[in-house]
Amino acid sequence: MTAFDTLLVALTRHGVAFIVVGGAAAIAHGSARLTQDLDIVYERSSANLERLAAALAPFSPYLRGAAPGLPFFLDRMTLQNGLNFTLTTTLGPIDLLGEIPGGGTYTDLVHQAVEIELFGTRCVCLSLPQLIQAKRAAGRPRDLEALAELELIQEEYDNPHS
Amino acid sequence: MPPRSSLDEVVEVYKKDIDRTLIRENLKLTVEERFRNAMALAQFADELRCAGRKARKREP
Repeated sequence: MTAFDTLLVALTRHGVAFIVVGGAAAIAHGSARLTQDLDIVYERSSANLERLAAALAPFSPYLRGAAPGLPFFLDRMTLQNGLNFTLTTTLGPIDLLGEIPGGGTYTDLVHQAVEIELFGTRCVCLSLPQLIQAKRAAGRPRDLEALAELELIQEEYDNPHS
Repeated sequence: MPPRSSLDEVVEVYKKDIDRTLIRENLKLTVEERFRNAMALAQFADELRCAGRKARKREP
């Protein structure tokens, strides 16, 4: 299980610029589906990469699915040399995404994203239309049921008394 | 209106099986309550998996 509360608070307290995407964003908008990990799109400036690495350091981030004992260390250079990282932490799995299909980078997404209050902090989350667009762009079979639910949620917002 | 794609058709089929009442109940909650429910559900799922593993080990 991912401790969304502790992870999100750690990221916001370190001043990391990030957007909640994926299943966690769907939960924020009312999805009843279970998600196993926290997916975020992070801003790629050097200063933000430093903050992101520092925020996750206490939780022993490591490459998910990799053999134990590899010389992996999540720091600014590691983040700079990659784009998308699927990690385990002591708080559960987290995916760090430099960009997402159908949405782009942090800079592309942030202006239409929404601010949410959560666990005593404020963080930025994909808006429901952005989330629907991203799921459509991904077009993976496993996303289609989630997409159906998100579109129904949008219909509930559009026609709350139907 | 743009032509419907095969993706749209699949999504519409899925919509028929989704319980709208669950969505409506979720929309009554705050964002934080939605996350707390999700974490509780995930913990319950973990416990069920653990119980299933133990039960399989006991099988002759």
